Amino acid sequence: MAPGWFRNPSILPGFGLTLGFTVFFLSGIVLLPLAALVFKTASLTWEQFFAILTDPRAVASYRLSFGAALLAAAINAVFGFIVAWALVRYEFPGRRLVDALIDLPFALPTAVSGIALATVFAPTGWLGLKLAATGVQVAYTWLGVVVALILIGLPFVVRSVQPALVEAQRDLEEAAETLGAGPFHIFRRIILPAVFPALLTGFTMALARGIGEYGSVVFISGNLPFKTEITPLLIVIKLEQFDYNGAAALGFIMLVMSFVMLFAINLVQAWGRRGQVTAGR
Amino acid sequence: MAGMSARVEARRNVSLGTRAGRGLLIFIAIAFLALLLIAPLGAVLAQAFDKGYETYLQSFTDRDTLAAVRLTLLTAAIVVPANTIFGICAAWAIAKFEFRGKSLLITLIDLPFAVSPVIAGLVLIMLFGVRGWFGEWLQDRDMAIVFAVPGIVLATIFVTFPYVARELIPLMQQQGSEEEEAAITLGAGAWVTFLRVTLPKIRWGLLYGVILCNARAMGEFGAVSVVSGHIRGMTTTMPLQVEILYNEYNFVAAFAVASLLALLAIVTLVIKTLVEWRADRRTG
Amino acid sequence: MSIALDQVTKRYQAVPVVNDVSLKVEQGEFLVLLGPSGSGKSTLLRAIAGLTEIDHGRVFLHGRDVTHVSARDRHVGFVFQHYALFRHMSIGDNIEFALRVRKVKAAERRARRKELLKLVALEGMDDRLPTQLSGGQQQRIAVARALAHRPQVLLMDEPFGALDAKIREELRRTIRQIQRELGMTTILVTHDQEEAFALADRIGVMHQGRLLECGRPDDLYTRPQTRFVSTFLGAANLLLGYRMPNGVRFSSQVTTGEAVPREVVAVLRPEEVELSSGQAQVRSNFVGHGEVEEVLFSGAVERLRVRMSGDGPVPAAPGREGQPEAGSLLEVSRTLPEQRDFPVAAGQRVAVGARRVHVLPTPISSFTAVADTESAARVLHDSPLLSALGARMQTRVATRIGRGELAPPGMPAVATGPGSAQAAEWQLRHGAAQLLCVPSTAPLPSHVIIHALDAGARRAAVPVAASLLRHIAAEAVYLGIHPAVSPENDRAAYMRDLLDTRSAALAEHGLDMRTELRFGDVAEELQRELAAHGNSMLILGTPDSDHIDWAWLGGLLEGQPERPVLIVNAARADRAPEH
Repeated sequence: MAPGWFRNPSILPGFGLTLGFTVFFLSGIVLLPLAALVFKTASLTWEQFFAILTDPRAVASYRLSFGAALLAAAINAVFGFIVAWALVRYEFPGRRLVDALIDLPFALPTAVSGIALATVFAPTGWLGLKLAATGVQVAYTWLGVVVALILIGLPFVVRSVQPALVEAQRDLEEAAETLGAGPFHIFRRIILPAVFPALLTGFTMALARGIGEYGSVVFISGNLPFKTEITPLLIVIKLEQFDYNGAAALGFIMLVMSFVMLFAINLVQAWGRRGQVTAGR
Repeated sequence: MAGMSARVEARRNVSLGTRAGRGLLIFIAIAFLALLLIAPLGAVLAQAFDKGYETYLQSFTDRDTLAAVRLTLLTAAIVVPANTIFGICAAWAIAKFEFRGKSLLITLIDLPFAVSPVIAGLVLIMLFGVRGWFGEWLQDRDMAIVFAVPGIVLATIFVTFPYVARELIPLMQQQGSEEEEAAITLGAGAWVTFLRVTLPKIRWGLLYGVILCNARAMGEFGAVSVVSGHIRGMTTTMPLQVEILYNEYNFVAAFAVASLLALLAIVTLVIKTLVEWRADRRTG
Repeated sequence: MSIALDQVTKRYQAVPVVNDVSLKVEQGEFLVLLGPSGSGKSTLLRAIAGLTEIDHGRVFLHGRDVTHVSARDRHVGFVFQHYALFRHMSIGDNIEFALRVRKVKAAERRARRKELLKLVALEGMDDRLPTQLSGGQQQRIAVARALAHRPQVLLMDEPFGALDAKIREELRRTIRQIQRELGMTTILVTHDQEEAFALADRIGVMHQGRLLECGRPDDLYTRPQTRFVSTFLGAANLLLGYRMPNGVRFSSQVTTGEAVPREVVAVLRPEEVELSSGQAQVRSNFVGHGEVEEVLFSGAVERLRVRMSGDGPVPAAPGREGQPEAGSLLEVSRTLPEQRDFPVAAGQRVAVGARRVHVLPTPISSFTAVADTESAARVLHDSPLLSALGARMQTRVATRIGRGELAPPGMPAVATGPGSAQAAEWQLRHGAAQLLCVPSTAPLPSHVIIHALDAGARRAAVPVAASLLRHIAAEAVYLGIHPAVSPENDRAAYMRDLLDTRSAALAEHGLDMRTELRFGDVAEELQRELAAHGNSMLILGTPDSDHIDWAWLGGLLEGQPERPVLIVNAARADRAPEH
């Protein structure tokens, strides 16, 4: 039996072929291009690199991208939980429809949601008008960015929490029936612990998505440098100006951020799993 | 992403609160969703038909728009099959075998979800742009990837390749390999086992993954925007055309094209619901 | 012969899940692989089918070496515990699958399908889907599917595990009938002993990856060879007995006769226990007095627990921590006639007799830690080596303070260090058949050296080594040591001798050991070998006590005080008795 890096104890066929193709594909589509970015960045000197990264305009964009994403993910965590709760626990007319609609931001092209949001929240738009009456302007401000990020992050939280709630649901019924536990007790002891990891996972995924989001945001944000310019847009602008160094450096830092987020998501998921022995599947 | 495995079942409920509390929660949920989801959709339709049905239809006679539609379809026709094959291979390798580096592989497959689409375009420019790694090589042969159709296809592949795989991997892991082992003891070879035993098992998940992949492929904006060069009539896809029209203040046309894309999204969701419903009834 | 396995080993992350299994199954035979979960039986079955690759050994199907042949081409029929029917195909398509793959024509396939459905009594189900059938029906279809391509061998992995009791019985009968009708060589894996008895021509009992025993059900039941098999196949009381010229005695009060009686492990089945009002009324061999502690079940078979008095038989199993050495607890089962003859109730005092007792041929029956003081005895008793051996071999470790008149029965254990040579000499001279010298900190060995001072000693030492090595994961090497100056022809003879030793050990005792030929001084070579490996142990076979060179032995023992030494005394060891 050949020991070594790839151990294949299963006698099912196709290991070499499928793994080979998968690795080949990933290398070409993902690894190679990412390597190009890394190398390009590496060709900059440290001074150049830092200069680009700490440029005030760039810093303003970080604040916006990250801050808005954080806020949006937090709002999604709360409302997303409520939505998931309503979907799992209650029967109401149109429930199936609503449930299907949750995936809409996922399936809808970002440009479409971008212009739609811009139109709805523009000062002349349906909601924009109403909000202007109360003195709040959404379009062309950082608020607009947050709204857009809430939209695209919603499915992550809801779809993450739903299965966890369904799981908790089972335990809940049993606990209530056999132990006569009170509602708050049930909520605190059974539901929250079961759901928290899923909620955290959804939050982190929404956050990761929000930091990098482009299409939904650029129409509603107004794109004023230092005010409502997100980091991805800054990268695009630098590319258009042929400032490849700048684009590369910023892209690199965003990539690093993405990896950190991915790592965090994996950690959270692993942490969530450690409590499950054979919970459901 | 939970995809198919997020089942929605309102069970016989243990009451955790008052009826009023329940009503309130439902109201909040619906209001939130209405604001976020329904309003934009409504806006798309309202703006598209703002100037009447005729104007709406006229938007599609524009040459550039038609070219954009063609390019979008072409891209999808290349990207979706490629990603489907990838997804099936990756799911088979991951679900049926144990090997070191498996979690790394799964993480890599998840990568596009965490990476900004702009980065996807950026890395392709780093690779194939004029000053990129292969820039000179391509120029010598008078080939272009960036600011041309191949770049658009590659960027779209980058962003959409996880969908089929992520749908199939948990599904196949859940289904186990016993049926495949049985087939092998009965004398079946690799292809027969896959075609007649595995494929029927995964068909609904596969269908959903393909449809989702298609929707994203047709709708990808950020990555394509960076790589395309926005050359009207040649390298604009439907989403890019929407942007161009919108920036020209040609709102009706912009929303008309957007409405097509929105329709695609809705059809995707409908099929997804149907598929889930069927799968539910089948496996019981 | 239909199936042959030769030293099949499968490791999972360096732990052998199937450990050196060799087996032969005849054509048309129904073999049941029986064992607790984790014993490796399913893995072994899958290895035969080719669903799992093995790390060592060979698999033969009908004389053909299929070790490196893929599962596809082995032409076996496999039935899974959870049926593994193709959920998206109809029953008919499921059954025809193997034929379709072989490109058999439609008409022929249909005919075969009908034939098979009739065989499993499910005619007419052709168009149903698997999910529409009950569990028992699905499993029958699975069997039919596995037989479609006329395999030479049928392998079944706990096929009835997922079904409830009544269906299980029905299916058992069906399977047996089909198997007889078709004359199909079959291996069935199960953990259910009742099932094994009902179906098997022969049973192979597996435990921790090893095939312990293989034989007819009645043979394994009445004449088991190991502790595990005796307790796994039906209930058993394992007691320490003492071989007397006219049989086996159970009293732990060893009346002082001429010699230390040979201690053995005896199996007393609950149904062979006789209860009576007093010793005089006991018709079978009297064992002792006891009190009925519990009457567990009344009906056709009455099951009782009887606590024997403190001077009654000693259980062979290790005592539980902290429990006072009470008398042993006997499991007894009685039929209705017996109940009528002598009804008993809880709390009643009874006299106990044994109708039939089977002595296990295991050479190591118990350990006794011998020391001069209470504290020394406790330290010895709790030493890592002794406690590990007791746990692994499911063997009692007793203590004795002071020497008494004779060696204790079983295997005395003394601590190494100063005075150990003297203690050893005393024990061996005073009747010990085996002796263990235990260093206070040595753990279980990973390297065991076996050496015998003459041929008789070797015959005694090898079974003891085999018994020990069955329970610990260690490699074994047998050293043949001869004087440095030996003529050439003698060398060749020594080599042959070693090879004979090796194959005899393997054949008779299932012990797979390396052999090495050394030339030089015996004590030096042994000490050198012991020192060369950490965690090594010596098993030394000596001639009878009159012919031992005590000074030499003492020197050996005191030369390596950190290594355990097990001495096997040839004269006292005798052949495994039949009973």
